Amino acid sequence: MRPDSSRYSRQMILPGFGAEGQERLRQGRVAVVGCGALGTVSAALLVRAGVGYVRLIDRDFVELSNLQRQALYTEADVESGMPKAAIAAERLRAANSEVTIQGIVADLTASNAEELLGGVDVLVDAIDNFEARFLINDVATKTGTPWVYGAVISTYGLTMNILPGEGPCLRCLLPNPPVPGSVDTCATAGVFGPVVECISALQVAETVKLLLGRKDELRAGLAQFDVWDGDLRVVTVPRVPDCPACVRHDYEYLRAVATAGTVSLCGREALQITVPRTQPLDLGDLATRLEASRPVRRTPFMLRFEAEGHELNVFADGRAIVKGTADETVGRMLYAKYVGI
Amino acid sequence: MVAIVRIPAPLRKYTGGQRQLSVEASTVAGVIESLIAAFPELRAGLYRPDGALRDDARLFVGSDDIRLRQGLDTPVLDGETVSIVPPVAGA
Repeated sequence: MRPDSSRYSRQMILPGFGAEGQERLRQGRVAVVGCGALGTVSAALLVRAGVGYVRLIDRDFVELSNLQRQALYTEADVESGMPKAAIAAERLRAANSEVTIQGIVADLTASNAEELLGGVDVLVDAIDNFEARFLINDVATKTGTPWVYGAVISTYGLTMNILPGEGPCLRCLLPNPPVPGSVDTCATAGVFGPVVECISALQVAETVKLLLGRKDELRAGLAQFDVWDGDLRVVTVPRVPDCPACVRHDYEYLRAVATAGTVSLCGREALQITVPRTQPLDLGDLATRLEASRPVRRTPFMLRFEAEGHELNVFADGRAIVKGTADETVGRMLYAKYVGI
Repeated sequence: MVAIVRIPAPLRKYTGGQRQLSVEASTVAGVIESLIAAFPELRAGLYRPDGALRDDARLFVGSDDIRLRQGLDTPVLDGETVSIVPPVAGA
């Protein structure tokens, strides 16, 4: 479709937007970290608003339990085994072909965070775990990139603008990530679709203000919102005088060395097995080997097959998501046996 | 002094679903003590197993983080709101 400014006419007549504001958005570059519930809503709002470059980062594929609140995905996506970042990028290109959308299927780690999160004006947090948020905080602080924290659980959500060097960072709010298992996840406590839309909407409004250069209109402080109670409250968070990240510039999470690891995924009966590799896994070779004994579903990004009563999803970066177990020994055994270390 | 304590949705499982409680106390520490006396399960949302206050649950009096005032010794005035903000990770 040819560029036609009528696409943005209802936005451009808003006070302070105009053709100049729209052009600023067109020149804007944003990365949305996570393409789950918050990420799909934020990405759609940013792309439709005409932000010129939107990067979508996600490590996962679509599951049936996502469809209740992740409006970009369909039942066919659950079947296809295509990764969320690729599906979301394709759907949103169809919504606005004027935007450059890059979908990246990857797990955010200390070794790739600077590359994945670099070269953008704003980072929108839509990720489901604190470890990755502490990495985002390190990269954002190191590079001076504003980021917009957002998280939801149940009917409740939080969001805060983090402007490196100007206000509190994530580690001023939370010195360390909570101990795993001490915090409810969407799988254990549930999440109500409408609160996702509200928190993402707040995040995108702030992102647009940043892109338009209207920093004096940004909301200061931590916003808490409960969609059931209809209650939005903003509280003040202090900048910690000896904050390791934003004052001492010691980027502990970014310094962490990537190691082989197994993590359980957001409270669900699934594990992610990570094996550092010097070269990408050859999915074609692996599929040929496995197909001798079992059906394999192939996409350009991933293989899916069943082994010993579990579903294995193997990505080109060597990661595997093993479904149907939370037992690390079982997961690593299956990985070693069917993928190989 | 009677403080109004706001309980966020993720912690309401510990308070029998109650959203807001009136608590008689003169400091934030007193508020926490009374809350836990009334709802012992709430301890897990505020304290680590070793007995120290969790550093991932933030406490506010009015709109101020208690670190901006006097921490747990911050006085609470009659009718003042104390709120708890738990760590939230979901997306």
